[in-house]
Amino acid sequence: MTGYRIGHPFRFGFALAFLASALLCAMLLPKVAAAAGADSPLTLAADGSSASYQGWDLAATGFMRANSGTHKVTTLADGKQANPGYRYPVSAKGALCAVVSGTAVIVYLPAASAQLSRTSDGATHSGKADQKPSAKALSDFEQTALKATLEGLDGAASSATSLQSLGLPFVFTDAQRFRYHGLTCLFDQQVEAGSYYVVLKGSASDLEQVQFVDSCLLEPAAQVQVAPAPTGPAALGAFLSSVDLRPLWVSLRTSLAALVLIFVLGLLAAKLTLRVRHRLRAVLDSLFTIPMVLPPTVCGFLLLVVFGNSTPFGRWLEVHGIELVFTWPAAVLAATVVGFPLMFRTVRGAFESLDANLFAAARTLGWGEWRIFLRLMLPLAWPSIAAGTVLAFARALGEFGATLFVAGNYAGVTQTIPIALYYDWMGGDSLTAVFWVVVIILISFVVIALINWYASHSQKWMRPALSGSDLLPLKKPAQTLAASPIKKQAPDGH
Amino acid sequence: MSKSMRRSAFGIVLAALLAFSLCFLSACGSSSSSSDNAATPTSTTPGTIQIFAANSLQKALPLVQALYTQQHPDVKFADTQFKGSGDLVSELQGGAKADLLICASESSMDTANTNGSIEANTRKDMFTNDLVIAEKTGAGYKINSLKDVESAKYAKIAIGQGAAVPAGAYANQALNTIGLYSAADGKTGSYSADFASKVVQDSSVGNVAQHVQSGDCQIGFVYTSDIYRYPGIQVAYKVPANTHKAIVYPGAVCTGSVNAQASQDFLNFCLTNAQAQKIWSEYGFAVK
Repeated sequence: MTGYRIGHPFRFGFALAFLASALLCAMLLPKVAAAAGADSPLTLAADGSSASYQGWDLAATGFMRANSGTHKVTTLADGKQANPGYRYPVSAKGALCAVVSGTAVIVYLPAASAQLSRTSDGATHSGKADQKPSAKALSDFEQTALKATLEGLDGAASSATSLQSLGLPFVFTDAQRFRYHGLTCLFDQQVEAGSYYVVLKGSASDLEQVQFVDSCLLEPAAQVQVAPAPTGPAALGAFLSSVDLRPLWVSLRTSLAALVLIFVLGLLAAKLTLRVRHRLRAVLDSLFTIPMVLPPTVCGFLLLVVFGNSTPFGRWLEVHGIELVFTWPAAVLAATVVGFPLMFRTVRGAFESLDANLFAAARTLGWGEWRIFLRLMLPLAWPSIAAGTVLAFARALGEFGATLFVAGNYAGVTQTIPIALYYDWMGGDSLTAVFWVVVIILISFVVIALINWYASHSQKWMRPALSGSDLLPLKKPAQTLAASPIKKQAPDGH
Repeated sequence: MSKSMRRSAFGIVLAALLAFSLCFLSACGSSSSSSDNAATPTSTTPGTIQIFAANSLQKALPLVQALYTQQHPDVKFADTQFKGSGDLVSELQGGAKADLLICASESSMDTANTNGSIEANTRKDMFTNDLVIAEKTGAGYKINSLKDVESAKYAKIAIGQGAAVPAGAYANQALNTIGLYSAADGKTGSYSADFASKVVQDSSVGNVAQHVQSGDCQIGFVYTSDIYRYPGIQVAYKVPANTHKAIVYPGAVCTGSVNAQASQDFLNFCLTNAQAQKIWSEYGFAVK
C-alpha cells in the first residue's frame, strides 16, 4: 500500500516532467534543424550581423535592415535646418546598400570598399535602368555569393517579407547617384555628423514602392569573424543560460511569504470560527471562504479599489506612507487572499471532525484553551494542516489574476512565473514560455511527491493515536507531538 | 468557553495580524533597497527612470534604452511596462507611478492629460506608424480592399480592444468607413451583427500579432512595426491612411516625476540620436 502511494505519484510526475521536457525540445528542434542544414555555403553569425560565403574572398559585416525611413527635418552641426528628403539609415560610411523597390533590388557597391574582381564580362545588371550602370562587372560567382549573403542576412533580420521571397532582379551600381525608373537614390550621404543615409527622391508613389533597405560592409573574409549560432545541445545550453530566472525567485519568495501568512492566519481563523456563536460563524465562514469562489480578477479588482489611490482609504494609506499597489507586498497580499480559503477550509474541517470529548477531558485535567489548541488540536489535525498548507502554497504559486491586477508585471519585483509565462507568450517569446511551463510542472511534481511522501510517513506514526479508544488518545497525542517523527527515527537512523 | 478566553483569543489574532503586517512592511522596505536595477515601481526613484510605453514599442525601446545607458552610465531604467496605451493611462490614474509615458495615440495621451497624469508642456510627437492587416507567413490571402475582411475566409479576426488598445481604435475607425463598426472614434461603438461574431478582441496589439502568428486568427489589425518584431507574420494589406486618424506616438513626462529632467533628456535622445534612429527604423518606426 505504502509502495503504491509513493510510487504512483512519482510515476505520474515523471511522465509529466518527461512530457514537459519533450515539449521544450520540440520547440527548440526547428532552430536546431535550421542550423543543421549547414550544407549551404553560407555561414551566418548568431547575432545576424555578419556572414561569409564559402570560396568568396569577401564577407559581409555590420548588417542592418531599415524597415522604415524618415522625413524628419534635421538640425545640422552649424545650427541650420535641413530636410534632405526621404531617407533610410545605413550601417556605416561606404556601406554596401540594397534598396528594395517594387520592381528591383538596387545594390550600391561603393568602389572604395568593394575589392571585387574585375572581369571583362559586363553582364552585371539584369534590370532595365534609365541610366547606364557604371558598376564594375561582377563575375557570376560574385553575384551568386553577394545575393546569397544579402538574402541570408536579410532573412535572419526579419521573417516578414524577405529579400528572398520577393524574388526581384538585382541591379548593381557603384555610382553615388543612381536613377532607376522614377526613383533616384543618393547613396552614402552624411546628413548628421557620423551617420550615413541613403536619400531617396521621386514621386510619392515611387517612394511608397520602396519596402526596406539592407546595408552592410564588405571586408576581406579573413578579417571577418563569423560565429555561427550553436546547434544541438549547445543551443539548449545557450538558451538556458540566456533565460531571465528572476520570475522563479519572485514566485518562490512571494508564495513562501504568502504561505507564512496563510499558515498563521488560516489556523487562527479556523480556531476562531470554532468558538464563536452560530450566526456570526456563518458570516465569518463565508467571508473567509469567498475568495476561493470568486474569480481572482474580482479579488484583484476589490484589492485595487481598496488599496489604490482612487478611493479615500487608498489615498489615506498613501498619505501615511503605505503604498501597496504595484509593489511586491501587493503580490504577497494577492497570493495570501486567494490561498487563504484553502488552508482555512481544510483546517476547519479537520478541527470540526475532532472528538469534542477529548477537549472536555483535557479541560477536566486543567488544560487551558491555548494548550489544548497547541498540544491537542494541532497534532491531531496535523495531516490536514499539512495538506491545507501544500494546497494553499500551490494556489499561491499559481496566482495570476489578482496579482496582475494589484501587483502588475514588474520584472524582478512582482513578475511571477505565471505572469512571465503570459507576457512571454504574448510577446512572441514562445520558447521562454515553454521553459516556464516546464519549470512549473517540475515544481508541482516535487510538491505533490513531497505531500505523498510526508502523508505516508505522518500517517504511520499517527495511526496508533487515531485508532485508540476515546480515553487513550488524551495523553498520547501530546506525547507523539513531543516525540516528533524525526526524533523517533533518530535511534535507528544514526 | 468563557468570555475572557474568547477575548484573549481575539486579542492574539489581532496581535498576530499586527506583527505580520509589520514584518510585511519591513520586508517590503528591505526588498526595495536590496533590489539592484529593478527599483521599487511605486514611487519614482531618483536616477531610475520608469517608463510606461505602448505595447508596440516592446522590442525597439529596450534597445534604445540600452544604447542610452551605454552613453549615460549614471542613468538607470526600471522595468519598462509595455501594455495597451489605454491600460497604461488607467494604471497611472489608479496610482501607478512612472516618469515617462509613451502612447500609441493622441487620444490616449489626451486622456492622460485630462487625468492630470502628465506634464502637458513636455508632450512631444515621437513616431509615426502605419496600420496593416497581418496574416500568418505564407497564408497568401489576397486582400485588395478593406471590404475584403468580410469574406468568409476569415473566420476569426483579431482586433485590439478599441477602448484600451490604440491599434484597435484605428482599426475600428477604418472599419467604420465601410459600416462594420458603429462609432467613428473607434472606441465607443460596436461591430455590425454578422461581423461581431468573427472579431476576437485582444488586450494589446502584441496579443493580436501573436494570435495571427499562432494561426488562431486568420488575420489581425496591427502596425507595420509589429510585422518586424513578431516572427511569422506578414502584411496582407496596408490599410489606407485616410480611413483612420493619423498614427502618432506622443511622449510626455509624468506628473510628480522626480526624474523629470532625466526623462526629458531621454525623450530628446530618442528623437535626435542617429544611433537611436537606426533602431527605430529597423523596427519600422518613422521618427517625427
